[in-house]
Amino acid sequence: MMLEDELTVSTRERDGVAIIDLVGDVTTFAEEKINSAYREVTRRNARHILLNFRQNDYINSAGIAILIGIVTEVNRHQQKLAVSGLSPHFQKIFRMVGLAQYAEIYSDEEKALESFRQ
Amino acid sequence: MNQHSPQPDAHERVIELRLPSKLGYERVAMDMASSVARRMGFAPERIDSLKTAISEAVTNAIEHGNEYDAAVKVVVLLTARDDELIVSVADQGRKPLDQKCMVTTPSIEEALQRDDKGGWGIWLIRELMDEVEFTTAPSGGNQIRMVIHLE
Repeated sequence: MMLEDELTVSTRERDGVAIIDLVGDVTTFAEEKINSAYREVTRRNARHILLNFRQNDYINSAGIAILIGIVTEVNRHQQKLAVSGLSPHFQKIFRMVGLAQYAEIYSDEEKALESFRQ
Repeated sequence: MNQHSPQPDAHERVIELRLPSKLGYERVAMDMASSVARRMGFAPERIDSLKTAISEAVTNAIEHGNEYDAAVKVVVLLTARDDELIVSVADQGRKPLDQKCMVTTPSIEEALQRDDKGGWGIWLIRELMDEVEFTTAPSGGNQIRMVIHLE
């Protein structure tokens, strides 16, 4: 029975933006995968980073804490962070928590990439 | 009706779930609450709020109240009434619920400075549900009782 780890994390680059794809659920089990993807793109000198969410039925407060950790690092490295692909519910949660002040929220990848170009 | 033995309210349905105190089982509570709420006629965005609230309450019970001891259970009660759904989540109270989180609003600015960036769970429950009460369970543990109204 799959009750724990249901997240696939991968990285790619498009138009000079490092995209971290997060497919699945973001809970406490996601920590190492997300942090290592972030370290990897930072090692490759990424200035613009997009967290691209897909099929996220479940993001909990532990997942939010991991993302706040990423914001801390992004600020320290003077990178720019955006998020895309969140469902309306999780867009709302990100705004409530205040994550939206540190990472612009876009409905999809294309809109996010467009904003980085400006 | 026999006045000496109270009958359950004809319009009240109670479902009980006993979960092992192991992370991941909160998903079972989320699925059950979502299924019941959908059948009651709640709007999809309210069901999303309910799922987040119940996952946070159960996760809290697993981590703190029962300290990951899979042998002890988290007890979830869903009471469906005509106009509301009541969810109660009870643990064994190995650690009491942090009093502060019942009233304070966490701040992301502070979280960014701290090593521990968590502490959002109980606040999210308070924000997302119509009524929230922190009480003591019959087991002596922590109990969170939350209500969501059918509009």
